Amino acid sequence: MEYTFTLKYRLLPADQNVDDLIERLGAEGCDDALVGVGQPGRMALEFTREADSARDALQSALADVKRAMPAAQLFEAAPDFVGLSDVAQVVGVSRQNLRKLMLSHAASFPAPVHDGTTAVWHLADMLDWLHATLAYPLEPVTLDIARTTKQVNLVKQAEQISPASEKQLRLLVA
Amino acid sequence: MSRWKHSKKEVEDALRYAEANGWRVEPGGAHAWGRIYCPYNDAQCRCGEFCITSVWSTPKNAGNHAKALRRVVDNCTTNRSKPDAAVNEDEGN
Repeated sequence: MEYTFTLKYRLLPADQNVDDLIERLGAEGCDDALVGVGQPGRMALEFTREADSARDALQSALADVKRAMPAAQLFEAAPDFVGLSDVAQVVGVSRQNLRKLMLSHAASFPAPVHDGTTAVWHLADMLDWLHATLAYPLEPVTLDIARTTKQVNLVKQAEQISPASEKQLRLLVA
Repeated sequence: MSRWKHSKKEVEDALRYAEANGWRVEPGGAHAWGRIYCPYNDAQCRCGEFCITSVWSTPKNAGNHAKALRRVVDNCTTNRSKPDAAVNEDEGN
């Protein structure tokens, strides 16, 4: 199967020779990724990777990048964090249509990660809900990659948990 | 046009497509063949990282690489909001 996903990294000041980094990425097998370097101190890699599962695709890509640039820090795997328009685009419906669904299924609609002037969801939550509730036809590959990028981001964020607060909070937020 | 051609036809076509949309194409590198630069890389631009995108000399899959490059050009927010932007294919050959 072919999986498309994007990994976004922060580069350390010591690692800002982007030409060298790109050469190392090429040598480590990242030549199935489009490398974007339009923002100083950052790098985005849009992979189109052939693998047996989304997990294999993501894990091998993360490993390749780590060998090529060990100091770079992953800050986001995409597609995971999405707004309504992003979901609409992935699923192939209009944003208005999706908004109507949200209002008419207020009780069961997935809770956003953040709600405010803009609301953000996990793409996997939305796709699972659309599939379960409305039997929306979805490419298995799309669902598979969204579930996997969500796990990558959750693990990445869990790195910041302080052990003291975790103990007290785990039951309270469950 | 005086730049080196890319040896993979699909990629070379994608580079011409980028140029037809105003992108600058600059060769340089070994594993990397060069880079493409967005013409609207200004304060309003929201393309982010892919305003400057690296092109591989020998991508794992030339067809996929070419498709991804075209996607970057098509997704450029400034370009998208200018429906009259010229997409003339090069008259080179």
